Amino acid sequence: MVYGTIILACMGMLIGYLAQRSRMCFVAGVRDYILVRDRELILGMFAFIITIWVLTSILYPMGLLRSGTPEYGDAVIRRSVEQMGSFSLSTFRFGKLLQGGDILSPNMGGVLTGRFLYITLGGGLVLGAVSTLAGGCVLRQHVLIAQGNGDALYFILGFYAAVVIYYGLLFKYLVRLY
Amino acid sequence: MKRRRYLKPWIFGVVAGILVVLAEAFAGLYPPAAYSFCLTCHTRDLVNTLINTLFGRNFQTTLLAHRMIMVTSPAVLAGAFLAALMHGEYRKQKSSRPVMFLLSGFIIMTVGILIFGCPTRIAIRTGYGDMYGAAAFAGMLLGIWISTLYLRRVSTGRG
Repeated sequence: MVYGTIILACMGMLIGYLAQRSRMCFVAGVRDYILVRDRELILGMFAFIITIWVLTSILYPMGLLRSGTPEYGDAVIRRSVEQMGSFSLSTFRFGKLLQGGDILSPNMGGVLTGRFLYITLGGGLVLGAVSTLAGGCVLRQHVLIAQGNGDALYFILGFYAAVVIYYGLLFKYLVRLY
Repeated sequence: MKRRRYLKPWIFGVVAGILVVLAEAFAGLYPPAAYSFCLTCHTRDLVNTLINTLFGRNFQTTLLAHRMIMVTSPAVLAGAFLAALMHGEYRKQKSSRPVMFLLSGFIIMTVGILIFGCPTRIAIRTGYGDMYGAAAFAGMLLGIWISTLYLRRVSTGRG
């Protein structure tokens, strides 16, 4: 347990350090590209995605990464996740895009279906919209706290408090969405 | 004139991408897939683990949180603090609109729990080949576009 915690801590600190030095933010990258055609940050985002794509394409066939499992350890969520199909994560085979049957579980036949699709799309929309209005994605807000920004401090306070409120109050209502 | 950024963002992208995948493959950050780095999910695990142990409730945590304490969010804060202090970029600023940011943080965390990811992890899942990650990514791009157009209209309308 200690070993894993140390690994997470080191990785977090390294990413935090690099993010502060490079002013990295995913939503600010897209926003800058739309407003002033500034490509630096959005290139950083695509470099991230492409590096992960290449590495997973290499490591999945080698058997070092295994396909996805339901997220939660709780029985209620696991049952509802199984009902909407699994989140089986396999890879875009390097060079071939959108291999239908590989990416999703077999009984979905390679098509995105189910209510979770709408939840994902709508949720992504809200995430993008609110993040730009707040000035950055979550990573950027953490870095802004480190630079002494008071706005980011309230953001992160709301962030942490939301976990407690979600699991204390809203959970029973939101699970029905699935 | 001094260069504004010390580090090119694409270097961050490549280094972070390598770290994330290698951590999952070789350091056993396994039961949820694509889980080496996510600020939303890891803080949920951290807070729920604390509440479960301190108050004996049974809030959900992922399987990985049973094996290690997910300290990513405090670690990112620490690393960024180190960078800011080392290069003299710490400047205390009071908050201009606290309630709005509090609400924004609340919404981002709640939606993130439903979507299983923060923007960083949505990018990771897209790279891994998860179609729902790609759908979330597309939704995110659309949402950013809408907000940017709104901000542009607000700022040029008044000026």
